[in-house]
Amino acid sequence: MSVDTAVTEPKQSAMMAALASFWFEFRQNKGALYGLIFVSILAIVAIFADFIAPYSPIEQYREVLKLPPVWAEGGSWAHIFGTDALGRDQLSRMIHGSRYSFYIGFIVIFFCLTIGIVLGLIAAFNKGFIENVIMRLMDIILAFPSLLMALALVAILGPSLENAMIAIAVVFIPHFVRLTRAQALSELGKDYVSSSKTMGASTMRLMFINVLPNCMAPLIVQATMSFSSAILDAAALGFLGMGAQPPSPEWGTMLADSRQYILSDPWLMGIPGLAILFTVLSINLIGDGLRDALDPKMKTSKA
Amino acid sequence: MFSFLLRRLLVLIPTYIGITLTAFAFIHVIPGDPILIMAGERGLPEEKYLELMHAYGFDQPIWKQYLDYVGQILQGDFGRSFVTNRPVLDEFIELFPATVELTIFALFFAVLIGIPAGIIAAVKRGSVFDHSLMTISLAGFSMPIFWWALLLIVFFSGFLGWTPVSGRISAMFFFDTPTGFMLIDSLMSDEEGAFTSALSHLILPAIALGTIPMATFARQSRSAMLETLSEDYIKTARAKGLSPFRVVVVHGFRNALIPVITVIGLSVGTLLGGAILTESIFSWPGIGKWMVDSIFRRDYPVVQSGLILIATIVILVNLSVDILYGIIDPRIRKKGH
Repeated sequence: MSVDTAVTEPKQSAMMAALASFWFEFRQNKGALYGLIFVSILAIVAIFADFIAPYSPIEQYREVLKLPPVWAEGGSWAHIFGTDALGRDQLSRMIHGSRYSFYIGFIVIFFCLTIGIVLGLIAAFNKGFIENVIMRLMDIILAFPSLLMALALVAILGPSLENAMIAIAVVFIPHFVRLTRAQALSELGKDYVSSSKTMGASTMRLMFINVLPNCMAPLIVQATMSFSSAILDAAALGFLGMGAQPPSPEWGTMLADSRQYILSDPWLMGIPGLAILFTVLSINLIGDGLRDALDPKMKTSKA
Repeated sequence: MFSFLLRRLLVLIPTYIGITLTAFAFIHVIPGDPILIMAGERGLPEEKYLELMHAYGFDQPIWKQYLDYVGQILQGDFGRSFVTNRPVLDEFIELFPATVELTIFALFFAVLIGIPAGIIAAVKRGSVFDHSLMTISLAGFSMPIFWWALLLIVFFSGFLGWTPVSGRISAMFFFDTPTGFMLIDSLMSDEEGAFTSALSHLILPAIALGTIPMATFARQSRSAMLETLSEDYIKTARAKGLSPFRVVVVHGFRNALIPVITVIGLSVGTLLGGAILTESIFSWPGIGKWMVDSIFRRDYPVVQSGLILIATIVILVNLSVDILYGIIDPRIRKKGH
C-alpha cells in the first residue's frame, strides 16, 4: 500500500501542477474569465430553474397578454420580463430555456467527440482503404452546407429537438474526424509511439492510451466552439420550426413565436436573442482562453 | 500543375458518387410513401397515384431507380418539381443569380470592413482598438443571424423607415431581367428609381449575411498578419527604412494573404450554398429560400436535386480555391494536400 501511494503521489502533484499552470494561463485572458463567469451563472440558473423561476414556463395568464417588461411603460414587477402573446411569463421561460442550451451543447459534443475520435483514430491507424472510405464519407457531409443538411435531416427524422440535435451532430462530426486524424498522424511519427510499438503495445493501447491524450488539446478547443455552434444551429432550426416544438421554452423557438410582433412588441424577440448572443459569446470566449492556455503557440489575444 | 489538377479531380469522383447517393437516399428514407406524403392531406385518386408512381419511377427496383436517376442527371435532367411541375434545373437557374448577387455584396461588405480592421488590429496589437475589435468580431461570430436580421429590420425598416422589409425590388417596377442580377437589370431598364429600389432591398440582407464572414475575416487576417509581422524579412524591410505603410501592406499583407484567401474561398462556397436564414427572413428569392420552401412543401424532387446542385457549386468553388493556391504557392502543389 505504501508503494502505491508513493507512486501515485508524484503523479497527482504533477496533475495539480499542470492544472495550476493551465489555470494561470487561462486567467490571463480576461474575456475568457468573464465568459466562464457568465456560463457558470447560467449553469446555476439552469440547474435550479424550478426554484428560481417565479412562474411555470408554460402556464398562460390570460389577463396579461404581451405585458411589457418592468423597465418599459406599463410594465409590472409581477412579470419582470413581461409576458408573451399567450400570457406566459417571459422570465420563467427564459430561465427554463437556459436548460435547453446546455442540454443541446452537451449532447451534441458528446456525440461529436466519441464518434469523431473513434473514426479519426481508425483513419489514422489504417492507412489506405479504410482511411479513404472514412475521409471520403466526411467529404460528402462537408459538401452540403451544414444548416441545409441539418434541415434536410430533420425533415426526414421529423421535427423535434432531439432530431435537431442528431442532425447537428452529424454535420459537425466531420470536423472532429479530420482534426483527430491530423493530430494522430502527426503524433504517429514520434519516438514514443514507435518505442511503445516495439514494446508490444496493442493497437487499441496505442490509439487510446498513447496517442489520444496528446491529441486532446485542439479537440477540447474544437468541442467548446462546437458547443456554441450547436446552440446557434439548434436555435436556428427552432426558429425555422424544425427544432424544439412549442410550448417548450427553447430560446430559438421563442424567437420564432415572437417574430410576428417584432415591430409592435420588440422586447419579445429582444430578450431571447440577447440571451443566445451572450451565451454563445461567453462560450466562444472560453474557447479562445482554452486555446491560449492549452496551446501557447496559437495565442490569439497576445502573441 | 497538370498532375496536381488531375489528382484533385480524381478524388472528387467517389465524393460525387456519394453526394448523389446521399441525395437519392433522402427521398427513400423518409418514412411513408413519398407520393402520398407529397400529395398531402388532399390525397390522390388511385389512377393518378399509379401514374405518378410510374412517372417518378417508384415502381422500379431501388438500384434501377438510382441508376436511372444518375443517368438523367448526366444528361442534365434533374427531374421536375412536384408542386410547380417545372424542371428543377430551370428553377435553379432562375433563382441562382439572386443568391450570387446577395453573396457578392455580403462578401464585399465583409472583406471591405473585416480585412482592414484585422490588419490595423494586428499592427496596433494590444491597443484598445485591438481589444474592442476582437470583442466585436467575436460577438459578430456568436450572433444568431436570424435574430440579427430581425434587429436590422426593426431598426432600419421599422424605426427609421429607410429600407424595405423583403424582396428584391419594389412591386411597382416591371422590366425584363436578362441577366438575373437585379442591380444590372434595373440599371439597364428605363424605369426611374428602379436601381435605387433594388439597391435598398439588397443592403440589409447583405449586411445580415456578411456579418459572420466579416468577423471571421477580421480574426483571420489579424492572426495571419501577426504571424508575418514577426518574420525576419519584415525586420529587414523595417531596417531598410521602408515606410511603415509599405512594410505592412506590401511586405506583410501580401504574405498573410494565403490563409485569408482560404477563409474567403471557403465562405464563398458556404454562402452560395444558400443563405437559408437570411434569404428566408428577407423573402429573398434565391436558392436558400427555395430549398427551405421545398422542404416545408415536401417537394422532394426539388430537395433531392437541389442538394446535388448546391453540393456541386460548393465543390466547384472549393476546387477553384485549391487551384488558386497551387498557383499562388507552388509548395502546396508538391505536397498534394
